[in-house]
Amino acid sequence: MNFLSRLVVNGAYFLNTSESYQRKKRFFYDILENDRFQYKKYFDIFMIILIFSSVAILIIEVKSEMNIYLKFFNVYVISFIFFIEYILRFWISSSVSEIIIYRSDHAIALGRKFYLYKAIISVIKAKLSFVFSIKAVIDLLAILPFFHELRLLRLFVLFRIFKLFRYTKSFQTFTSVLATKKFEFFILLMFSSVVIFVSSVLIYVMEAHNPASPVNTFFDAVYWSIVTISTVGYGDIVPVTTEGRVVAAFVIIAGISVLAFTTSIIVSAFTEKIDEIIEIKTIDNIRKLKHFYLICGYEGVAQEVAKKLKSSKITIIVLDEDIDRIKSAKKDGLIAVNYDPGNIESYKKIGIDLNTQVESILCLRESDVENVYTTLTVRSISKDVNIISLLMDDANRNKLKFAGANEIFYPKGLVGMISKELIGRPVAFEVIHALRNDYYGVEVEEILVDDRISQNLVHVRELNNVKFRVVLLGIYKKETKRFFFNPIEGTLLESGDYLLVIGNSAFIREFEKHLHKKIKT
Amino acid sequence: MKNRAALIFGYNDYALEIAKNIRDEYENIYLYSLNSEQDILKNKSGFEVKSFDLSDKWDELNENIDIEKSIAFCVLEDSAENIFLTISLRSSFDALNIIALSNNKQTASKLQMAGANKVIPLVQTTAEMISEMLQKPIVKEVFHNILFESGALKIAQVKIDENNKYIGEAISEIDWSSRYGVMILAIVYEDMSSEFIYSSKIKHHIVNKDNLFIVVGYESDIKEFEKITGSRCD
Repeated sequence: MNFLSRLVVNGAYFLNTSESYQRKKRFFYDILENDRFQYKKYFDIFMIILIFSSVAILIIEVKSEMNIYLKFFNVYVISFIFFIEYILRFWISSSVSEIIIYRSDHAIALGRKFYLYKAIISVIKAKLSFVFSIKAVIDLLAILPFFHELRLLRLFVLFRIFKLFRYTKSFQTFTSVLATKKFEFFILLMFSSVVIFVSSVLIYVMEAHNPASPVNTFFDAVYWSIVTISTVGYGDIVPVTTEGRVVAAFVIIAGISVLAFTTSIIVSAFTEKIDEIIEIKTIDNIRKLKHFYLICGYEGVAQEVAKKLKSSKITIIVLDEDIDRIKSAKKDGLIAVNYDPGNIESYKKIGIDLNTQVESILCLRESDVENVYTTLTVRSISKDVNIISLLMDDANRNKLKFAGANEIFYPKGLVGMISKELIGRPVAFEVIHALRNDYYGVEVEEILVDDRISQNLVHVRELNNVKFRVVLLGIYKKETKRFFFNPIEGTLLESGDYLLVIGNSAFIREFEKHLHKKIKT
Repeated sequence: MKNRAALIFGYNDYALEIAKNIRDEYENIYLYSLNSEQDILKNKSGFEVKSFDLSDKWDELNENIDIEKSIAFCVLEDSAENIFLTISLRSSFDALNIIALSNNKQTASKLQMAGANKVIPLVQTTAEMISEMLQKPIVKEVFHNILFESGALKIAQVKIDENNKYIGEAISEIDWSSRYGVMILAIVYEDMSSEFIYSSKIKHHIVNKDNLFIVVGYESDIKEFEKITGSRCD
């Protein structure tokens, strides 16, 4: 490797490992391309405002004298901002350093000589693919009004309108839906072109020789054909001969078919894609959520769990590969996506972060095979996410544990334990059951002792719960992870502990408020 | 002589779990199977498997079982069969305590109409446990330990004897927790209606003979409390 090549490769390695360079590049990538980046929407709104201001200035400029500052703003400031944006997009479109490193490593691995010019060609190819992409061409043309002295180039300001496609998702959705009907549109275009061409020739032949006819040139004929086939019919050019009118009748009928065909293509494109559009929107909304429970499989137990969790502040997302169960979840007012929870690709497509967004994953299929498979899939993506799973056959308990489930619920075992209580202490069981389910307005609640409470209240005796007619059942100490029933008055309150209290729901709320309000004097 | 027995109808995982859990309470546990020949052959549970069919007139039960002291569990997996079985048992035995398993809300109400004393709504109960685990994990752990595990903390039903020194006193005026180390969760009256100790109605309730206190506390404290107040009736 010669000196220059070595210098370039070293430079590439330097850039690729430079944290500050990568951080900056990442930031610009996020703000320009990453829909999940929280500040991207502000950038998009800013660019949309610039586009509309630019077009508004163009319209006002047609008949009025433009303020010099506005002119300066339009010609220099907006164009300069667009230019900077173009350069940044050019920069982040591909990584020069990565291409050079790849070529260098490739040459070393195969024992070949590293040719700098080949690496440069790869870099140029990557950058040119950006430059010639439709969006980049529009971006470039939108900068051209900068050369305001060329009056024709001012019309290029209209390309700024096309830039809107970059910043508004609905435009992108619209074009992507229409793009699915490329073939149909091509057929329609061919049909229309043939009709326009044939009718233009015919009307020109039939009418051009007649001095009373407004059709004098072939361009007049083509113009008349387009106006007629589109069913607009201005009436500025009309056939005057019988032959011409016969041609007109055929073009009118063809025009109706073209219109009907176009409408049906657009409608069918949207009908076919409507579910997909809704799903894209749903996924987009899920990505924006900060915390949610993910229910994998929407069967009997899952339906009941969802009902119970609905009252909590945390959103519930349902994932199921069965479309009927997804429909049922949606009917129950839940956000549901038709993806297989046992497939890693599902999580990639939805784009959720299992570690930060998901509070708990609930594998609630009534099949151990499915639950083990989903648990294993989730665990392979995230080591930390809390997984709760249903177990249908006790023989599979170890498999679920091995797959990585944190908590396992075995309904059959539960029936056994409940039966024991029902024959031993039926009333006590009922009381606890009622308490846990907030019957009769009396509930049991856990209150977190946060920093504020622990700073203001040192001992249990200071809680003053009796005044609020709330009973302190016990305290769960964070340090020892033990529950202390009926704690003595001198028990220390520490941040992270939990108070287990029983009482009327309204009194508990009041007690909670009191704990947070109380300021030590 | 007639036996006190636990009759479990249905030979499945539910039945075996119930049998395992109540074996300390009942000396005689019989599993009844609709498909007895096969089930008897493969039975390795250690419990006696008998046969029955839904048109049974229960003559054998009438002859050998002390119905008033026995309990029946209806845990057939087919909901319709389970309801039919419950009706069949109730129409033959008024005094039999029937506990039935239901897989959904609709079946639960039908089982109750069919005469079951208690219905275990399987799906709802599982869902309650899961949602409690997510929303109130410590409550779930504490109550699970109190009810199902053999931890130090217990729940007990204590009946007030006629000689109890607190008879005639207002329940809210006695500091039970600092005196005896137990907490009274609820009171069950003679007509079996119950009231939470924290409800406003109970504030002026006077302790009466035969009141049933539902108390939580450590085993030793509950025993002390029993000595003073009355008898445990678990």
